[in-house]
Amino acid sequence: MDDNKRDHILKNIDTPAIDANAKKRALNLAMAEFDSVQKEKAVEKEKKFQGFQILSRLMGNSNTETNKRKRNAMEQRSHKKFIYGGMATAAAVIIVAGVGLNLAPNFGASSQLTQHASIDTLSTGSAAPLNKGRIETRSQTRTESALVEQESFAPQPSSSPAPKEKADQLGGRKHAPQKKQAERQRQYGMIEGKAVPMRSKDEAIAARKMIAPTAPSSTNFTGHAHEADSMIALAPADIMPNHYQDVGRDKFSDFTENPFRAVADEPVSTFSADVDTASYSFVRRQLNNGVLPQKDAVRIEELINYFDYDYATPTDKAEPFKPSVTLTESPWNTGKQLMHIGIKGYEFTGEQPNSNIVFLLDVSGSMNSPDKLPLVKNSMKMLLSSLKPDDTVSIAVYAGAAGTVLEPTKVSDKAKIIAAFDRLSAGGSTAGAAGINLAYQLAEQNFDENAVNRVILATDGDFNVGINNREELKDFVERKREKGVFLSVLGFGQGNYNDDMMQALAQNGNGVAAYIDTLSEARKVLVEEATSSLFPIAKDVKFQIEFNPERVSEYRLVGYETRALNREDFNNDAVDAGDIGAGHSVTAIYEITPAGSPAMVDPLRYGKKGEAADQGSTDVSDDIAFLKIRYKLPKENVSRLITQAITQEKNGPHCPTVSLCDYGINPDTQFATAVASFAQILKGGKYTGNMGYDAVITLANAAKGDDPFGYRAEFIQMVRLAKTASDMQP
Amino acid sequence: MDKQNAANMIKAAQAGDAHAFERLINTYYDVIFKFACKWCGNASDAEDITQDACIKLARFICKYDGKAAFTSWLYRLVINCGKDWYRSQNRHPSNPDALEYVQADSTSEQQIYAKQVINALYQLPEGEKDAVLLVLCQGLSHKEAAYALGCKENTISWRVHEARKKLSAQFKKEQDYG
Repeated sequence: MDDNKRDHILKNIDTPAIDANAKKRALNLAMAEFDSVQKEKAVEKEKKFQGFQILSRLMGNSNTETNKRKRNAMEQRSHKKFIYGGMATAAAVIIVAGVGLNLAPNFGASSQLTQHASIDTLSTGSAAPLNKGRIETRSQTRTESALVEQESFAPQPSSSPAPKEKADQLGGRKHAPQKKQAERQRQYGMIEGKAVPMRSKDEAIAARKMIAPTAPSSTNFTGHAHEADSMIALAPADIMPNHYQDVGRDKFSDFTENPFRAVADEPVSTFSADVDTASYSFVRRQLNNGVLPQKDAVRIEELINYFDYDYATPTDKAEPFKPSVTLTESPWNTGKQLMHIGIKGYEFTGEQPNSNIVFLLDVSGSMNSPDKLPLVKNSMKMLLSSLKPDDTVSIAVYAGAAGTVLEPTKVSDKAKIIAAFDRLSAGGSTAGAAGINLAYQLAEQNFDENAVNRVILATDGDFNVGINNREELKDFVERKREKGVFLSVLGFGQGNYNDDMMQALAQNGNGVAAYIDTLSEARKVLVEEATSSLFPIAKDVKFQIEFNPERVSEYRLVGYETRALNREDFNNDAVDAGDIGAGHSVTAIYEITPAGSPAMVDPLRYGKKGEAADQGSTDVSDDIAFLKIRYKLPKENVSRLITQAITQEKNGPHCPTVSLCDYGINPDTQFATAVASFAQILKGGKYTGNMGYDAVITLANAAKGDDPFGYRAEFIQMVRLAKTASDMQP
Repeated sequence: MDKQNAANMIKAAQAGDAHAFERLINTYYDVIFKFACKWCGNASDAEDITQDACIKLARFICKYDGKAAFTSWLYRLVINCGKDWYRSQNRHPSNPDALEYVQADSTSEQQIYAKQVINALYQLPEGEKDAVLLVLCQGLSHKEAAYALGCKENTISWRVHEARKKLSAQFKKEQDYG
């Protein structure tokens, strides 16, 4: 870690991307200033109209925000200054809101005149129809007194509404709201072509609200002189500035790890399948930022299921998966064993089914960050490549309101679709519910019974307008699901990521919830696994395992806490459960204590011997457990059942210690174990004993296998990061 | 844009050619923004400062005398605008959270280390930070940096030296603990 290395780092510091809007704004302002400078010069040369020029120069100087220029003005003119808000000049041009104005007392009279002139201009200006932009006027603290002064000149409209209101209400309001907002705000204005620095990035966002992407893009108050090159739009304080990063508002549902259960008390364990991977990418993102993820963000099963395991694949669509079970030593608890239950979904071999897809994109202000909307656009464009030419795609967006950006269009018309994506930009609040409504309408409009009808929602989950009640949205999605339109959710961004909501929506919409942190994750989810994400092969997949008390004394399901089902739900077809797409693999790991080994749960002193259910004449003494899987085919409503007894012999001998063996049957099992250990350690290591990150790395390294896309190598990298991050924790 | 072209553009803008000035802003906005970003470490503040700087540029472009590189002159303008801006906001640059170290094949550990280096840079006294920014990050000569900061060349050399010493000491310490 020497000087050279540091120099290299310093030389290669990267800055955020340049915002084209900000650039344009700065350019406009600079051009206006340039013009006025040139005019001043011309006037100076001609030595005409001296008085006027003094006035304009004076005002120009005093209205810039910099103290330096203010000082100049002080030197040039008198020592006594009054600041008047509500800007005016003889050639008053563009007035947005109250603008500070320095005048020597002897100019008072003329300023009064011009003040009125400006108000007139303003009223005409604000009466002009406004786009969806919002109004915000800002004035800096130090002009606060000025604003009060201003009132004596020009009575404000009596109702001065709250500052954060929509622009379309502005029409009758003129320029009132700034007083309340004096703090932390600056003023806007452009006087006689002189630019006053404007805090305008918010506005541009608002003005370029995307609902109507082709609409004129700014809210202009124009006078007569600088119509073209002055863009002044106003925005509400609640719109986030560029690249604003919320911190610590990610929402996850709270849950605790499954505990050990005594087989004698509770021999049956029931849970629903979960093929989501959102948790993995979220955890990865946090670790890449050098921090450990929140414990609730770690859903062990999603970390395990992020990877593709090479389980035996079925060949028949009617029985779309086949369980494979492996038994190994537990790496974190001597004397305990891990039972891996893996299933892999049937993979399409022929033509993929038609799809009718509606992209529902969140373009609210909270999506205005490089890792959100731009990533969404690129991800969606990627997904297009996995669709067939005659599939249909439509795009709906929502922010403060919802709108259709692209009517149902065939994928073959790719240019049109891509152009629609490119027109989007972010701004405004988030009315998620209205958007969902609209998206379902589009999907139903183009409903095709033989196709996969799916709404793909891309959002950071921050629904703050309309139905923001989670239950209500869930019910809505559920009802639509019954009609055959499914919902998948892609999560973006962090700091304000509402995982809780996303999970709820995806689970009720029979879709996957994935979290996209990078373009390569988008590739994985939308291109490589497109068939799994888009085409369900089975829905409501439930697992039920009954343990044999003679062979197993206790068990613990690793993960699936948020997917637990009641025992009686298993046979109830009305109870919703997870779905499996083509080629998805699902792995569940049980940690079991073989009968006779030291147990975590003390046996009941007064417990009676469990009566085994009638198993007919078969000898069940070799069974460790009995596995039942229920599923429905996508278009059916009655579930089918797969059963399999898990016996010791079938799984072959298991190895005495983890480090010695190749983990029995295949390296996949070992890798899954490594992932499970890692996830549990991240969650606090309640059950993993002394196992540390290094042991996880060793375990995973030995089981990397082929790893064509480098996902497993990346996992190992991630463990190392976690190690660093946990060392850095105070 | 080659040197000659740039020089012509600047001259034309100084003479009052609005098109030349527009091209000039279009060309140098990126330079200004990137430097402002590095100077204050925050993209949204940098945008404001850049905007102020562009407006100032309109007024003061005629003051550029060609004695130093135009970019050095620009850096000086940006630093002054930045200081004014933060004064007007009554606050100081916060953490450099917008900055990242880019290296195609860097590992995550390297990234973390880079972050620490960048943070450490921002902990330095202002004069030293500015000197390091100009000399090490922007690759200016000590002479040019002196021009941009309005001080003597010796001062720059001294500040860079001091800054290096401090950074070395800091990371040495961490390594020992670590």
